[in-house]
Amino acid sequence: MTTRRIGSPLAHLLDSADLLVTCGPGGVGKTTTAAALGLAAARAGRRVVVVTIDPAKRLADALGIDAAGSNQPHLVAGAVTGPGSFSALMLDAEKTFDQLIRDRAGDAAQTILDNSVYRSIAGSLAGAQEYMAIERLHQLHHSGDYDLVVIDTPPSRHAIDVLEAPDRLVSFLSNPVYRALTIPSRSFAKVTNAASSAFLWTVKRLAGPKIVEDTIEFFRSISGLEAGLRTRAAEMSALLRADHTAFVLVSSPRAEAIDEASYLATALHDGGFRLGGVVVNLVHPLPPALHLDDDTLDGITGPLAEQIAYHRELTALAEGERAELESLIALAGDAPVCEVPLLDHDVHDVDALIELGGVLVD
Amino acid sequence: MEPTWLGAARVLFVAGKGGVGSSTVAAALSLLAARNGADVLLASVDGKPGLGPLLGGTPLTKDEQLLRTFSASGGRVRARTIPPDQAFGDYLELKGVGGLLRRAASAASLDMVAASTPGLEHLLVLGKIKELERTKAADLIVVDAPPAGHAAPFIRSASALQEVVASGPVRQQADEVAEMLADHGRSQALLVTLAEETPVNELIELACDVDERLGLALAPLVVNACWPDRPELELTPATAAKRSGVGLTTADKAALTSSSRYGWARLQVQREQLARLDDLLPLPRLLLPKLTVPRLTSDDLDVLAESLAVEPEHPR
Repeated sequence: MTTRRIGSPLAHLLDSADLLVTCGPGGVGKTTTAAALGLAAARAGRRVVVVTIDPAKRLADALGIDAAGSNQPHLVAGAVTGPGSFSALMLDAEKTFDQLIRDRAGDAAQTILDNSVYRSIAGSLAGAQEYMAIERLHQLHHSGDYDLVVIDTPPSRHAIDVLEAPDRLVSFLSNPVYRALTIPSRSFAKVTNAASSAFLWTVKRLAGPKIVEDTIEFFRSISGLEAGLRTRAAEMSALLRADHTAFVLVSSPRAEAIDEASYLATALHDGGFRLGGVVVNLVHPLPPALHLDDDTLDGITGPLAEQIAYHRELTALAEGERAELESLIALAGDAPVCEVPLLDHDVHDVDALIELGGVLVD
Repeated sequence: MEPTWLGAARVLFVAGKGGVGSSTVAAALSLLAARNGADVLLASVDGKPGLGPLLGGTPLTKDEQLLRTFSASGGRVRARTIPPDQAFGDYLELKGVGGLLRRAASAASLDMVAASTPGLEHLLVLGKIKELERTKAADLIVVDAPPAGHAAPFIRSASALQEVVASGPVRQQADEVAEMLADHGRSQALLVTLAEETPVNELIELACDVDERLGLALAPLVVNACWPDRPELELTPATAAKRSGVGLTTADKAALTSSSRYGWARLQVQREQLARLDDLLPLPRLLLPKLTVPRLTSDDLDVLAESLAVEPEHPR
């Protein structure tokens, strides 16, 4: 069995990185892992902020972040003694987008913020949430208030979305339709670009004229922002590939999760991102082997038979999981791989996070 | 035999938090219904390609593929994905929208149109499902819905759009979809969870969303991956061996202590969460066994289909 325990390596990551991004499939404990890593670093003396997207309610309560999402870092009380500090923030993509508009749009800001098309884009544009996660990370990273920013990526089937988000928003803005719409002094009636008039006509036919007016107004009013957004997207793209940035891939040993995590590991590598470590949560423990011979086993009935049956099922499951993990371990290359046993209880208070941090850092 | 609830509506939305196995449950239910003679269409909204191989075919695409046939009953399982862009094209065609608007739509790209109309992508997919239902494309349409967190906005998109759009084809589409969802003879939702705390919490939120806000009928709840309830795990192996009249070596005792302690702790979590479900979401329910393999095969799927072929338990 080549499964490795991490010893100091993941601890080293918590010492040296100034940006950690957790990513992976849904339902594998990504947010909990991000919080536990951040807390471990804070207890080692660093000033840490953990940015989460959609924490389970009890974890949010444990971290003291309001379910409404204040979008501001909140110091988690009683988590750390000593020089370090531990803050948590629940990301509100819309508020971050609004702030970006206020910072950059000057006089046009309120017009944009009131626009119905903007309101729907801020919440639902493909990639907007991911883009805003990275935008917020960029702000926190450059605030000088923190030694380490840990960000939990949004759950998405293709977790790679988050990495492509800056490019995607820029390509949205580069769409020829958008370009035609943002040329000043042309009213809708005079828009002659075939693609854009077709676009507007489509929207009008499908959703009514009010939305068309809003669409035109929206694209006009954000036209001044485009250059700034492009610059920022390029900066974020560089930040995600910087030396002190590392990705922590989180998975479970279930086949679907492993397949997705493997895809993501390859995508990280191809995209020039650094994989700093792999955490495999929810691993069933492998019990020591039994040495009963078959004749004895066949004759056993009663409570011992039930215990032996469970031992056999647990062993089969644990061995199967370890075999599944081999491919992911191979893909991890030099990055440390840490297995976290499926615990007896859910992790939703600071003590449990400290315990989990201990398993991760050893 | 086919449980009575399974034939209650033509469309069955299967939804649950990521990682609870709702796609697997959707596949097992499709098999079960087909085995009983139904012509089943399994539609994956998220486009999970892995469902195809699990049912013995190739990865799912937007083109329908025949995955299983049951000669004895005449039932079969077909499967496909429903990508929003294709649903968009189909919709335009269906509405008799002429070549000019269709060309316009493709030039504009769905991304742009969808960005200016929140929830439109979801509505287009639901609209496609509604069309499949209306044209009786299958006896049963099993929809593998996006995971919770995404499932609620998906199912809610029609009513959300009704609030925003006052008239026109989008409004009409939203109205028709909302009507199908609220009609208990046409659609029902089956929710999947694990007997663990966070999945149970998220399930309850999802159930409130689909039931109270949309009036969507709820099929029995499926609790996936349940260990058999073995109270014997509480005993020390020494006591268990004594009661079974067998002697154990020290090493075997230690090995069993390790597994039984762990198993007993997990079993208590499972019992506790099943009791919470009883209190908080008193729906009839089906328990699926924990399969001790990390990667399911189509044989495993048959085992799960068999476990679903019973009448559900009613809450205490």
